[in-house]
Amino acid sequence: MATVEYHKVGKSFGPVEVLHNLSLDIERGSFVVLLGASGCGKTTLLRMTAGLETISAGEIKIDGKVVNNVHPRDRDIAMVFQNYALYPTMKVRDNIGFSLEVAKKSKAEINQRVEEAAKVLNLSELLDRKPSELSGGQRQRVAMGRAMVRDAKVFLFDEPLSNLDAKLRAHMRVEIRQLHDRLKATTVYVTHDQIEAMTMADKIVLMKDGNIVQEGSPDDLYDRPNCRYVAEFIGTPQINFLSGEIISDGGQAQFRADGTDLPLVEGYAAHAGRKVTCGVRPNDVRVDPDGHIKGRLQIAEKTGADIQFHLDIDGSEFVAVAPRATFAPVGEEIAFSMSAEKMHIFDEASGERIEV
Amino acid sequence: MKLGVLSADRPLVWMLPLIAMLVAFTIIPLFYNIWLSFHEYAPFKRRLEFVGWENWRLLFSDVRMWEALWTTMFYFGVVLTVELVLGMAIALLLDAEEFGFGVLRTVLTMTLVVPPAIVGMMFLLIEDPEFGVLTFVLDSLGILDKSTPILATGSTALWGVMLADIWQWTPFMVLIFLAGLRSLPPEPYEAAMLDGASPVMTFRRITLPLMSKVIAVAVLIRGIDVFRMFDYVFVMTSGGPGTSTYTLSLYSWQQTFSFIKWGYGATLSLFTLVIILVIANLFIWLAKVRW
Ligand SMILES: Nc1ncnc2c1ncn2[C@@H]1O[C@H](COP(=O)(O)OP(=O)(O)OP(=O)(O)O)[C@@H](O)[C@H]1O
Ligand SMILES: [Mg+2]
Repeated sequence: MATVEYHKVGKSFGPVEVLHNLSLDIERGSFVVLLGASGCGKTTLLRMTAGLETISAGEIKIDGKVVNNVHPRDRDIAMVFQNYALYPTMKVRDNIGFSLEVAKKSKAEINQRVEEAAKVLNLSELLDRKPSELSGGQRQRVAMGRAMVRDAKVFLFDEPLSNLDAKLRAHMRVEIRQLHDRLKATTVYVTHDQIEAMTMADKIVLMKDGNIVQEGSPDDLYDRPNCRYVAEFIGTPQINFLSGEIISDGGQAQFRADGTDLPLVEGYAAHAGRKVTCGVRPNDVRVDPDGHIKGRLQIAEKTGADIQFHLDIDGSEFVAVAPRATFAPVGEEIAFSMSAEKMHIFDEASGERIEV
Repeated sequence: MKLGVLSADRPLVWMLPLIAMLVAFTIIPLFYNIWLSFHEYAPFKRRLEFVGWENWRLLFSDVRMWEALWTTMFYFGVVLTVELVLGMAIALLLDAEEFGFGVLRTVLTMTLVVPPAIVGMMFLLIEDPEFGVLTFVLDSLGILDKSTPILATGSTALWGVMLADIWQWTPFMVLIFLAGLRSLPPEPYEAAMLDGASPVMTFRRITLPLMSKVIAVAVLIRGIDVFRMFDYVFVMTSGGPGTSTYTLSLYSWQQTFSFIKWGYGATLSLFTLVIILVIANLFIWLAKVRW
């Protein structure tokens, strides 16, 4: 259990700067999920935390102590590598138990802890194999196992479930969360999976091109994205954008796009005349013959629990989610309505959220 | 394109030159050697005479042969062990990217281009009882004095020869090991650091197992070489003092070319070949080297 603080951290590989002036506080025992597009610097940040990459600028503190020059061995960090980094010549058993062997634990204890972890990870059968004899997902679980037997101050997970099937992933999600609740270990977890991020995180940190765009609770990011990028990144299916402007119709604020007028919450009247982008989550609309959002149905996709309508609204695509019993013929115009509180308004030029 | 006899589905044609060379310089001499081991040169009649198993009977009862075999084995064991351990230690040191190490790695290859006979001569001078540097140093340290010249004293002569071998061939081991170390994946080392492993532990549990194939091949190549070592003893001691530094190859040479016993010389060389084959295959089997 420890705090981790990043203070104006920068990282360059030669002339290429991949992290810029990044500051972030991670509370004792919290579970932080790093999200971001491929190549935005998530792995680099984890590796710097672990001490595997030098820190080009700023400082990283663990438990209030600057660790810029502390050897990885002395940082007491457990990490699941994105590329697994298993010990190729050791059996699964020894791979998982190596840290315990290093810590000079007794044979019996090592065995017991390795087998416990193996059971959780469904690896019991494979303990006597070498990594080269395992599938990708099995290797990834061994990498998980190696972290699970640790009793480290900080846990770093770099997309630890990316190679598992949906069922195993759901199971592992629960296991990791339970492990975290049991050990109360500070955890930084990188993932591309929205569900993982939303279900596991105490705090989500969304990165873009080496910067933090927004940090906050999963609900914060979902309900109040601070810019268009965040709104687009969080939530599946992806949020819809309509561009238009704010008008004030006798004190009542409206969002006006080509042929569509949507009522806004009161405060926006002050921004009348501004060019904006309106974000509408596909889940926030409902079929309503009197609704203001009207579009021609292109395709209806059944996803199991519900149905996704792909609409054409004056040439731009718009996705809406409806209960699966909803029926509409392709080519027909459908109308949707939504509540004004659920609309996200961003400045058209800067992409920043306009708060009221 | 029509190539006729030179088309790709007639590999034999392409291999013919190589096969011809192999037959002329390896296969025929080998069989000639075997044939020779059942004959002996009769100096007065000036011709080879069939002697049956006589040479082989002689070989097994030849005290000097057993002595030479023991000397060879001892030399083999010491030189190989020292070169292996020293080579690995230096390779690990040079693997770091410190200033000037690139130059050092280049310098290392230089011992390998010197002909072994010349290295023998160098060490003959270094260990010279009158003005040799090593003699001087050991004398100053009180380890040896001038009354017991290194190469002329039965108990130290072989060690003196080993020194030349170790000096010349440790860099060979270093180069092979360095190449091996540089091709190791970095990830397991990162994981080991986070698992808290010390450098010694990391070496023992990760580097050594990963390097086992490389080490095995190096030992095999060097081992075969060491076993038929000739140049150093020939130049430095000629087998002396007494017979204390006669190796198998030097002894075969002496029997063949000094005593003109073509048949017995051939028998000795065949015997050496058999021992090398046995040891090499035993090693390959034990170390599980895959070809
Ligand atoms: N050793 C390196 N040398 C040069 N550039 C590097 C190096 N390692 C990473 N980079 C660059 O730094 C950027 C961030 O890489 P990083 O691996 O942290 O991305 P990531 O967010 O983990 O991506 P992904 O989700 O695909 O794993 C990338 O543009 C990458 O090309
Ligand atoms: Mg990554």
